[in-house]
Amino acid sequence: MKRLFGLSVVFYCLGIILVSFIRVNFWLIVVFGVIISAAAGLNFRNNQVFTVWIFSLALLLGALSLKNTFALPACHISNFIPYSNDAVYSLSGFIDSQPVTQNKRTAFIFRVQGAQLDNLKWDCCGKVLVKLDFPQDLNYADSLMLQGVLRRPYGFSSGSRSYRKYLSRQGVYLLMRIKSSLQIIPQDEKSGNKLIIFAFWLRDKLEQVIQKYLPDLPAAILSAMVLGQKSSVPWLVNNYMVKSGTVHILVVSGFNVGVVAFITSLLLKIIRIRRKQRIILTIICLLIYCLITGASNPVIRATVMGVVFLSGHLLKREADIYNCLACAALFILIINPCQLFDLGFQLSFASVLAIVSFYPRMKSFLRLDKYKPGPLRFIYEGCLVSLSAWLGTMGIIAYNFRIISPVTVLANILIVPLSTLITLCGFSLVLCGLFCPFLAGVFSTTISFLVTLLLNINSAVIKIPGAYFYL
Amino acid sequence: MLNFTPEEKRVILFFLIIAFCGITLNNLAKLNYRVKKLFCPPANLARIDLNKVSLEELIKTRCLPVKTAQRIIVHRQEYGNFSSLEELKEVKGIGEQRYERLKEIFFIE
Repeated sequence: MKRLFGLSVVFYCLGIILVSFIRVNFWLIVVFGVIISAAAGLNFRNNQVFTVWIFSLALLLGALSLKNTFALPACHISNFIPYSNDAVYSLSGFIDSQPVTQNKRTAFIFRVQGAQLDNLKWDCCGKVLVKLDFPQDLNYADSLMLQGVLRRPYGFSSGSRSYRKYLSRQGVYLLMRIKSSLQIIPQDEKSGNKLIIFAFWLRDKLEQVIQKYLPDLPAAILSAMVLGQKSSVPWLVNNYMVKSGTVHILVVSGFNVGVVAFITSLLLKIIRIRRKQRIILTIICLLIYCLITGASNPVIRATVMGVVFLSGHLLKREADIYNCLACAALFILIINPCQLFDLGFQLSFASVLAIVSFYPRMKSFLRLDKYKPGPLRFIYEGCLVSLSAWLGTMGIIAYNFRIISPVTVLANILIVPLSTLITLCGFSLVLCGLFCPFLAGVFSTTISFLVTLLLNINSAVIKIPGAYFYL
Repeated sequence: MLNFTPEEKRVILFFLIIAFCGITLNNLAKLNYRVKKLFCPPANLARIDLNKVSLEELIKTRCLPVKTAQRIIVHRQEYGNFSSLEELKEVKGIGEQRYERLKEIFFIE
């Protein structure tokens, strides 16, 4: 079987889904796992039966990993906090995410290392979502002492869409609301991962370059496209792009990762670095880019796929696209199986899977190969890629956003080439801004022009009758 | 010489063309003020003009509950155009928190 690995990952995912709907005891799954392992060992020579056991084991592994994620360690902070309490706790630890400031409020994930209630002090672990009622200049890895009331999140709705479940999937079981800056006591030492600190520092530098050379709106859109920083994109622009089905261009995706890989490889080739070292350096750059953009699911997917492709290149072995995709999914799900229920994960994998499987079939069905390479074929191919991605994600979008946009295919044909140009110019601007600022101005004018054109096209497209409708 | 693949040659050519276009556009913008409008996206692409928006458009954007949208239009009809975004707070249903969100969505020309 050619795609044993890919299918095993599918069964791993099924295990996660299964156990999220059915209540099964952890040890019961372990017992089943032991039995199936023994059965697989006994049927080692019978290929077909052995494959069945392997898939069953992958299924149980998925179930076990999800169960294990929800099992909290004994020192977890949520084990010490009763459901209903107004006691003021002092928490020591560090900021474990990039703080987000919106509407004069700041929020971040706080990794707890110690807690104190009156005179009782103890070491603990876990994450707390901290919400400040005021804007505060804070950074990833800042060590703090926070004082406030700890609360468990409300559900707001039942089922898998509940806010409580959403937070628990990110490992957050408690909230702390801080109303005054006096409740925050900065500590001297710096915690956190040095590589992530470097990545965030680099991201700030790159954002400064973008803001320096571009007006506000083009800068906000370019930051989203190149650095994955969507917070400054105006609500209306985002809303219009959701309606036209082109919001994916505001997210860092496989294309950006491909551009980074290509530019890095090209620059290294120009300075005459050897092939092997070039591939290794490109992989390192991809990993740093992944951290800069906040390591969201689409970026991790694209980075893992890129790393697998490049490694295959290094080992002179051809990479299978389905196995690459499965490898990326497994990588994300091993770290956190709950990501399977994340919308970004579902959309990212569904769109790539749809493009990979539908596009070649449609192309051969319509016999596009008989056309000579040129603008007409480029448009046809663009249509088919957009159509494939739309077909793959339509169900998920309709279910979650209650919107269907038949204009998506047309909008994507017009907007995707433009966004590709903007992304390429954006990378050029960022590189020039860092290394030879006198050249940056050349790209900034082109980017502003392209962004203005893109926004005009997008707002025109959604005005077409029947462009979108809510369910 | 370096052996570039066709893709790499295309990329180099692309960068040069972009640089060429950039310089040309920059020059045009300096010479003609109207051309500059092409580079600076107008405010109505990213925000809604509070004094021109119709009830239908307001409901379509789904940035507010229908009742609050109706109250904004009624307020505009009763007291005339909004002179500042702060005036939104006078509309029933718009508190400090919602105002903070809405001021990112609306603008006044």
